[in-house]
Amino acid sequence: MKNSISQIKKALIEKKISVGELYDEYLAKAKSGNNNSFNLVIDKENNISSINYSQNRYDNGNPLPLDGIPLGIKDLFCTKGIRTTASSKILSNFIPNYESFVTQQLLNDGSIFIGKNNCDEFAMGSSNETSYFGPVINPWKSKNSQKDNLVPGGSSGGSAAAVAEGSCVASMGTDTGGSIRQPASLCGIVGLKPTFGSCSRWGIVAFASSLDQAGPLTNCVEDAAYILNSINKHDFNDSTCSNHQREDYLIDINNSLENKIKIGIPSDYLEDVSEDILNQIDNTKKALSKHGIEFVDVEFKTTEYALSTYYILAPAEASSNLARYDGVRYGVREDGESLDDIYLNSRTKGFGDEVTRRILIGAYVLSAGYYDAYYRQAQKVRRLIKNDFQRILNEVDFILTPTTPNEAFKIGDKLDPISMYKNDIYTVPTSLAGLPGISIPSGLSKNGLPLGVQFIGNYFKEKTLLQLAALAEKELSFNE
Amino acid sequence: MSDIDIKRISYLAKLKLPSEKEEFYTNSLKDIIKWVDNLKKVDTSKTEPLHNVTEKTVSIRNDEVSKSNSVDDVLSNAPERAQNFFKVPKVVE
Repeated sequence: MKNSISQIKKALIEKKISVGELYDEYLAKAKSGNNNSFNLVIDKENNISSINYSQNRYDNGNPLPLDGIPLGIKDLFCTKGIRTTASSKILSNFIPNYESFVTQQLLNDGSIFIGKNNCDEFAMGSSNETSYFGPVINPWKSKNSQKDNLVPGGSSGGSAAAVAEGSCVASMGTDTGGSIRQPASLCGIVGLKPTFGSCSRWGIVAFASSLDQAGPLTNCVEDAAYILNSINKHDFNDSTCSNHQREDYLIDINNSLENKIKIGIPSDYLEDVSEDILNQIDNTKKALSKHGIEFVDVEFKTTEYALSTYYILAPAEASSNLARYDGVRYGVREDGESLDDIYLNSRTKGFGDEVTRRILIGAYVLSAGYYDAYYRQAQKVRRLIKNDFQRILNEVDFILTPTTPNEAFKIGDKLDPISMYKNDIYTVPTSLAGLPGISIPSGLSKNGLPLGVQFIGNYFKEKTLLQLAALAEKELSFNE
Repeated sequence: MSDIDIKRISYLAKLKLPSEKEEFYTNSLKDIIKWVDNLKKVDTSKTEPLHNVTEKTVSIRNDEVSKSNSVDDVLSNAPERAQNFFKVPKVVE
């Protein structure tokens, strides 16, 4: 098993390794990696002062919570002085002069950024195949076809692959409709999407502002708690960031949950799923039942509308958010004789196919004559979906679902957008409801590929959600 | 569902699709719009639209001036600049 943050910190405290040696170790893996999981790797000399400060704090016996930990950062977070591209041609030369709120918290806590992780262009994709810098390859291979390169999932595919291949201890990702949980599941790691409004969106390249949320991709649940402790803070620069008191997610993470727990399994999610996927739910149920946790069947009434709602709202918000790329203020400019030509040429040449498609869908559903029928109707159905979750969370404490409907597929296998969009069937509803969800690895498919299960909790109840996930992780012992 | 006028939509989105790609995007949009059409059968006559999912969390800071980006910071990524301005082709005759 790979080392966890607490194991690495212990080794640093006991001087079994120095911060610089630790960085070298991960840097070597990041540089020699064949999975295209980084858009940019940061050489040691460019991080030398952070490394030295961190080592000094260990030497003085007062290390910060994430001191010296090499982290990957999805190339969607603005990082001061470090190229931030959103894996798009149009931002391929963009160097932010400010730091995103979330990455600033990670720096304040002593972590060191090893590079920017590849992702789908503007986080639009479920396979990391839409990146301008090429697809990311899943470190896992099917035992029946070792030669085939598989997708890592997306959009935080580079983050998931980097953690799985061991080229960073953890990575910061973002999740709009499943972009943390789905790749975590396909790469056999842990991915947490906190409640919408937990972590500030300030400085994250915007995709769909009512859905985007930052969260960690990690080797274990405890590492997710370490990162969440750092990033889950109120920020006035994001008006949707909740101003409530946050808990310490690390304390008591391995203690049993205090009350008797009831978990709902949505029977409508399990219709027509493969045996591989059913096994994950059964195994998890078995593993947790011995702790006196009760499982009950629940049934959603709105599941069949979730993807439609998402694929109206997310592109609508994207078409509006991506209007800012004009070739004038930042990003790549394509020449034109008039200002209008500059807009048209820069945008047309700067965006890839999937981003173009989503901007067009968004422009269509927001246009006069269609706004009420599509956009407004989708916003109303979104409320019904949220109400549906609230009804079920009045009956049970958590919901257990598969994270994905299938294992990792071959690069180039899913060419039709709708079959790609269906990958997010289990993660999108949670995103629309704004609830927190965590994917943990639960077992292997018949082809020897990792699969995950998702636990969904109530709003801002990440603490008990992580405790439950830690218990399931221990019982499922995927990493052993 | 009405027909997709791809020229109008791409104009609204400030995109100039190459003519050989117009059909590709038209068909793609048609498929997706048909796929999401199932929302029309949901009765929402008594439902209000949902804008912010956590609804009660909106927090707004006091309206106080704070120092943030300098002019040089703001212009540092401009493809073309002239003194303290973004530079674009002449807009008015």
